[in-house]
Amino acid sequence: MAATRETAAAVRDVEQYKYGFVTDIESDMAPLGLNEGIIRFISAKKGEPEWMLEWRLKAYRYWLTLTDEEPAWAKLKFPKIDFQASHYYAAPKQAPALTSLDEVDPKLLETYKKLGIPLLEQQILAGVAVDAVFDSVSVATTYKKKLQELGVIFAPFSEAVHKHPELVKKYLGSVVPYSDNFYATLNSAVFTDGSFVYIPKGLRCPMELSTYFRINERNTGQFERTLIIADEGSYVSYLEGCTAPQRDENQLHAAVVELVALDNAEIKYSTVQNWYPGDADGKGGIYNFVTKRGACRGKNSKIMWTQVETGSAITWKYPSCILQGDNSVGEFYSVAITNNRQQADTGTKMIHLGRNTRSKIISKGISAGHADNTYRGLVRIGVKADRARNYTQCDSLLIGSTCGAHTVPYIENRNPTALTEHEATTSKISEDQLFYCRQRGMSQEEAVSLIVNGFCRDVLQTLPMEFAVEAQKLVGISLEGSVG
Amino acid sequence: MKPSEIIDHPFGSAYAMRLGAKAPWLGHLPGPKTEAWRFTPLRTLASTPFVPASASNDVDVTELPRGLPLIAGAARLVLVNGAYRADLSDREFGQGLTVSTAQEFASSARSPLALLNAAYAAAGISIDAAGAGLRPIHLISIGAAGAEPLAFHPRLRITVAPAASLTIIESHVGLPGQTYFSNPVTEIVLAEKASLRRYVSVAEDSEAFHLATTTISIAAGGSLEAFHLGLGGALVRQEISVRFEGRGAAARLNGAYALSGRAHHDFTTVMDHNVPDCHSSQVFKGVADGDSHGVFQGRIHVARDSQRSDARQLHKALFLSRGPQIDCKPELEIYADDVQCAHGAATGEIDHDHLFYLMSRGIDPATARSLLVEGFLTEAVIEVSVPDVQAHFIDAIRTWLKSREIARGRP
Amino acid sequence: MALLEIKNLHASVAGKAILKGITLALEPGTVHAIMGPNGTGKSTLSNVIAGREGYDVTEGEVLLDGKNVLAMSADERARAGIFLAFQYPVEIPGVTTSAFLKTALNAKRRAEGKTEVDAMEFLKLVKAKTAALGMPYDMIKRALNVGFSGGEKKRAEVLQMTLLEPRLAILDETDSGLDIDALKVVSEGVNSLRAPDRAFLVITHYQRLLDYIVPDHVHVLAHGRIAASGGKELAVELEAEGYAKYLDAAA
Repeated sequence: MAATRETAAAVRDVEQYKYGFVTDIESDMAPLGLNEGIIRFISAKKGEPEWMLEWRLKAYRYWLTLTDEEPAWAKLKFPKIDFQASHYYAAPKQAPALTSLDEVDPKLLETYKKLGIPLLEQQILAGVAVDAVFDSVSVATTYKKKLQELGVIFAPFSEAVHKHPELVKKYLGSVVPYSDNFYATLNSAVFTDGSFVYIPKGLRCPMELSTYFRINERNTGQFERTLIIADEGSYVSYLEGCTAPQRDENQLHAAVVELVALDNAEIKYSTVQNWYPGDADGKGGIYNFVTKRGACRGKNSKIMWTQVETGSAITWKYPSCILQGDNSVGEFYSVAITNNRQQADTGTKMIHLGRNTRSKIISKGISAGHADNTYRGLVRIGVKADRARNYTQCDSLLIGSTCGAHTVPYIENRNPTALTEHEATTSKISEDQLFYCRQRGMSQEEAVSLIVNGFCRDVLQTLPMEFAVEAQKLVGISLEGSVG
Repeated sequence: MKPSEIIDHPFGSAYAMRLGAKAPWLGHLPGPKTEAWRFTPLRTLASTPFVPASASNDVDVTELPRGLPLIAGAARLVLVNGAYRADLSDREFGQGLTVSTAQEFASSARSPLALLNAAYAAAGISIDAAGAGLRPIHLISIGAAGAEPLAFHPRLRITVAPAASLTIIESHVGLPGQTYFSNPVTEIVLAEKASLRRYVSVAEDSEAFHLATTTISIAAGGSLEAFHLGLGGALVRQEISVRFEGRGAAARLNGAYALSGRAHHDFTTVMDHNVPDCHSSQVFKGVADGDSHGVFQGRIHVARDSQRSDARQLHKALFLSRGPQIDCKPELEIYADDVQCAHGAATGEIDHDHLFYLMSRGIDPATARSLLVEGFLTEAVIEVSVPDVQAHFIDAIRTWLKSREIARGRP
Repeated sequence: MALLEIKNLHASVAGKAILKGITLALEPGTVHAIMGPNGTGKSTLSNVIAGREGYDVTEGEVLLDGKNVLAMSADERARAGIFLAFQYPVEIPGVTTSAFLKTALNAKRRAEGKTEVDAMEFLKLVKAKTAALGMPYDMIKRALNVGFSGGEKKRAEVLQMTLLEPRLAILDETDSGLDIDALKVVSEGVNSLRAPDRAFLVITHYQRLLDYIVPDHVHVLAHGRIAASGGKELAVELEAEGYAKYLDAAA
């Protein structure tokens, strides 16, 4: 009980959205709008090789043919986005080449400190290497040297394009092709930075790798691109966190994440998404349209997605696994919390192609206020996926009678030896549970936080320790004011 | 919508022509990008040159096909190619039952197929039930095409007056080896405390198309018990929408399908909890053999403020061979918090442990499989509360199992 | 000729060797007990004899009345007279116990060249057998093993045994999960089936069951081999001293 009280106390200390400040920093921005010139501008800013620019332009030209094909199938309502009203590049203005963290603008470091991201090595939690992306640019990667010695490449995407073109060329777009969907195509054209990770054969990466994304500038979109390759027999755990300042207008975030796991490799990808959700009336907030997909390309490979989605005005996100290798495993653990006017349409796809492939989906949706929360998932068993197995459990919790909770699974089985199981439930926090907690001295909000954390336990316990603590607090904060 | 009201729809011109040229409506059917039809493509239907049913091009049916259920005391209503056949039907229905043919009435269904029905339907049949102790009704719809593929659009309305209760059995069958398209629309209205038991068996010919749309509204305290059996057809869809309009209403909507060859069967259900305090349960089970395709789409909708709704749904399907496809989309759409809603879905093959257990008692594998399949489907059929009907459905499943063994060359 | 002969039987599961050379002969009219700690291959032995999938016989023979049973499917073995009373009988929803029993009984009768029993004869037969076992006759209307208590399931296994009248009955941990009263009823049922032309293989962890079903021979299974054989006094000795010395010796 002590721990609960501590959590609840921490929750009280924090404002509704504690990351809602703006860093006053001079920045280098592209003009408003999107055209081939802007894409050439982005590419030039990054000093990219010709092949990279060509790939971007190919994506952009394809995107132009999709203008009427923004996905409309999700249970989301929002005004049409004006893609010409955004800046597609914004970078903090400073000396181009940094040799050490000491040279990073102190204001930036201050920002990350406020965010709770320990950039300076002495402050770093043992064993976490951090890449921080501020608006469009990766500003610092810690622990670089130690990782280099192990043969791990953990670098800003723009740096990888220069230093490891063979790897980038081989894997970029191999999981999420530039033509994949409206938002992924847009990202392929205009992505600015992100993280690149390569784990060499047989290495169990000894530290968690972490990226922190921050949208700072007004009217900017963030389009980062992450590519992680786990070579044969390797393992990596990767953490991703996101915040943005409080602004009245909506800002677009359209990221792409590609994971590749070769034979016997394992990737664990954890996200705590806490973009600004907009105010209680639904003004402002991030539009989060993200394409995340992992390919279990090798035999016995494994990809595990864990996400805690508490932020954003709109979340449209389906971290997926393509289970190509025999005996490969895909797992998806999700907590999605929507409050006030937030809308989330999130879930996963598990595409079983190889033999003995297994997948597990645990989804916990919590809806409060006037929010709508949808789980949407696809489980597809191919003709050749003998003895494939899927287990799906989707639970929704409604808090109050003005929100909505929806479950839309698609199960497509073509193989008689495969087994799929799906279960979904909808419930509310019972008066009995609340009363029990209140009778033991908890406030209403402490009680809700405790009960909801219990509801999400199966998912939260898959997070690495530091993230799990943060996530538990977020669960409480996100639901503040939801129970009268 | 009444047939005469859909002139502004593409199908409306067909209404004007009624018995016009070959299938001018085919181009307006929902395509593969229409979410509601993603698992049930209508390509083959759209490429078949159907002619509307009429007296001149029909094959005459003078007696009823064999294998229909015999329900004690039931009054018989027979349709051939969608047209009411007085000569094959009972004339007396007993007290409390009013059966009128040649009716034009509205339907609340808005799907493209329902509109198509409205455009083309010959006169509809209306059954109005009042009071208790009514005779059960057995409605038999027979498809019998001539030389050309035939389309017909039966239209049926059933109303049950306050506190009345009615049992209706529907058998949809066809003459063998013929290509026809049956597109029935059924509108059911249950008044306060009314109850209806409806048992539908669709065993169309393997070349036949059957796309049925049923809408049911249930007033306060009303109850529905329905069971739908699907035993084949080239393309069959049984779409059933239930809407609660008053508190304390209940619906049990169950079904089973058994498919072989290239059969395609689709159950699409909508359970709309539009008011508080209603209860619904659904159990659907299916088995698929050959190269068949089984589909289950079930949506549970709980409207804002429909508190204390209780809604459950289960779909389980078994593969009997390598070749079938089973697609499933159970859906919850919930806008009230004090509710109990759950769905479950599972696909797989016969449990190896079950099979071994039976074989370890000396039962050969084929018999063991048949026993297990029968048991699997029976779990849904036992939801049927009328013993005669339950027994008929189990017999129908056994017959299907036997025909499957014969197809595989077993004695 | 022995009723059941197991010769140098080796078997593995998923590539892992479990049985490593078992040789055993059961004469008609005898009861053999196989004892041993968990994980020594007792259940594997019963599954291999009954013909469950997933067990690979890598060496050796199993003969019933001199005929090789390893070439037969599970149902052929059952019709030839092998009956396995399961440790955990499966629940099969939707399949009634009566439909199951009748199908099994008639499969056996057909194989023996006898006429099938009709519904009336079948009910009469089952009525008599259930009464003898102190079981409610109504249980045959229920789905197979569904919702049965542990004791009811084991009784249902014995009921099947008395109906099918096997040549060889294998009891796999039949005592597990039974209270003393149920154990007595089940044992009486088994004892009533003891006959000069029938043999029993009783697999158990504890000596308790053997107080009721008294064996002629007792074998200790350790690490996939028979570590010791003796008379019924061996079971008493094991109860007092445990399995440790056989495990150490065999390791």
